[in-house]
Amino acid sequence: MPDDLQDNPKSIIRHYVEMGVLALLLVVFLAVSLWRQDPLHQKDAAATMKAIGLILAAGLTLTMYSFLYRDNPLFKIAENLYVGVALGYMAMFVWRQALRPMVYEPIFHAPTWSALQTALLHKTVPIIVGFMLLTRLSRKHGWISRYAYALMIGWAAGLAIPNITNTYILKQLYAAVTPLQQAITSAPNTPAFSYDWFVGTAGPVVGTLVILIGTVSVLFYFFFSVEHKKVGRAVSTVGIWFLMVSFGASFGYTVMGRLSLLIGRVQFLLDEWLKIPST
Amino acid sequence: MRTPEINRKRFELARRCVYVVIALAVIIPYFFNPKQEFKPMAEVVSVYEKIDAMKPGDQVLMAFDYDPSSEAELYPMSMALLRHCFKKGVIPVIVTHWFAGLGLFEKACNEAAEDANSMWGKKIVSGRDYALLGFRPGWTDLIVKIERDLKGAYETDYFKQPTRGMKALEGVNSLEDFELMIDLAAGATVEFWIAYGTDKSGTPMAAGTTAVSAPDLYPFYKSGQMIGFMGGLRGAADYEKLLKIPDRGERGMLAQSAAHIIIILLVLGANVHMFAKRLFGNKRD
Repeated sequence: MPDDLQDNPKSIIRHYVEMGVLALLLVVFLAVSLWRQDPLHQKDAAATMKAIGLILAAGLTLTMYSFLYRDNPLFKIAENLYVGVALGYMAMFVWRQALRPMVYEPIFHAPTWSALQTALLHKTVPIIVGFMLLTRLSRKHGWISRYAYALMIGWAAGLAIPNITNTYILKQLYAAVTPLQQAITSAPNTPAFSYDWFVGTAGPVVGTLVILIGTVSVLFYFFFSVEHKKVGRAVSTVGIWFLMVSFGASFGYTVMGRLSLLIGRVQFLLDEWLKIPST
Repeated sequence: MRTPEINRKRFELARRCVYVVIALAVIIPYFFNPKQEFKPMAEVVSVYEKIDAMKPGDQVLMAFDYDPSSEAELYPMSMALLRHCFKKGVIPVIVTHWFAGLGLFEKACNEAAEDANSMWGKKIVSGRDYALLGFRPGWTDLIVKIERDLKGAYETDYFKQPTRGMKALEGVNSLEDFELMIDLAAGATVEFWIAYGTDKSGTPMAAGTTAVSAPDLYPFYKSGQMIGFMGGLRGAADYEKLLKIPDRGERGMLAQSAAHIIIILLVLGANVHMFAKRLFGNKRD
């Protein structure tokens, strides 16, 4: 029992009631699992393991959601188990998918002498750089890792600068200006206020203007070198409105994403654990 | 006057009531699932049409950059895309930056292959009808390598089969040899693929992302750097509708709509309460 409950009789009773309910739910869960999955009467060992796996997955899912009521020992177990399994899984996959096929096997199981020479030629420097990164763990020798980081950052920056400039600035600028240019070119041939005029000329012009106003006003809102007074304040207020609309869209999508995760878990519990056919 | 303790208890109760209502909104539609009509979004239609227009034997590079934590949204998309490819005879070539999802991707390939067998009588074979190349470390470096030399980046596939001479990779040496590149991503890899891959090679690019990341992709879609994308479970549902094979995406739409209505009502209710409190004061407290 937690220490802070020791002197409060109401809290002690509540604690024992909650523990009782938790135990009851556990019994109900096991009974339902044995009824729906029946791991003891499967046709072979693989099916039995699958049924046990499904019961475990369902149990861990429900345990995770139990946190919505309040923190509890089962949630703590599931939380620690999750972190431990994720780390173990990661270590195993890094070995199996990266270190063994790309480092260990080419060097220690090279089929020929020339294959070993090629492997050493290509892999010695990356291996040394990798070990240099590990010196970060030592206070005394941590400075060695800086050379490895410097190499990595220099490499990444060299790779990123032309590509990111092209993708995020040049192509976006081109895309922003193109509709305007097309609208100006097509304007003399289109009767004003016709459908084509709205779609081909007015629409792109308004769209481009909105993007321009939004970009400038939001950038100005974050420009603190000038005091935001009079016109400056008006521009930054427009910027706030654009930011709010953007945050609203992001929030809406985030709610949708979180609900999708819940729907996914509910579908798993109903479809696979309880085996209830959907209508 | 209400004490802080009473306020806290009321808040705790309200919080739990919200959870219960949302849970019911998601569970109940599972049992009473009337047909819900919705129109697929233009950005999803363009991805569908691109694959639908391909010839048998064309190859699509698919990066499945997610893990089980995003399974609910991205697995239905993976299934819909794989089924579509197998139906059309298009060859998906699957790579990933996220090793933790590899088991899931193998399962998706097997399930889609079984579906192709049961629905269209096609026997789908790894290495011939699809290639699961698996994980390699490197992030942007891997994309740069694939952009130049795919078989150099992946000398063997996930099942340890050599990629040189693999039928599924015939005629493919680099990113530009693919008809389409699709990244199903739970993180920021779509932007990496655009910047380091498709913008350079000129390969048409599409994506599928979690709903949280979807707003970030509109600038790339509007600029033509992507031909289309699927956002969240709704994106998967749209693709399933176009493919006419309903699955987890379409089945989740009613639950999602119900939960959205509840959330909108809660937001409105909370705002009305706040404004009423501001207007009429808080004399009772």
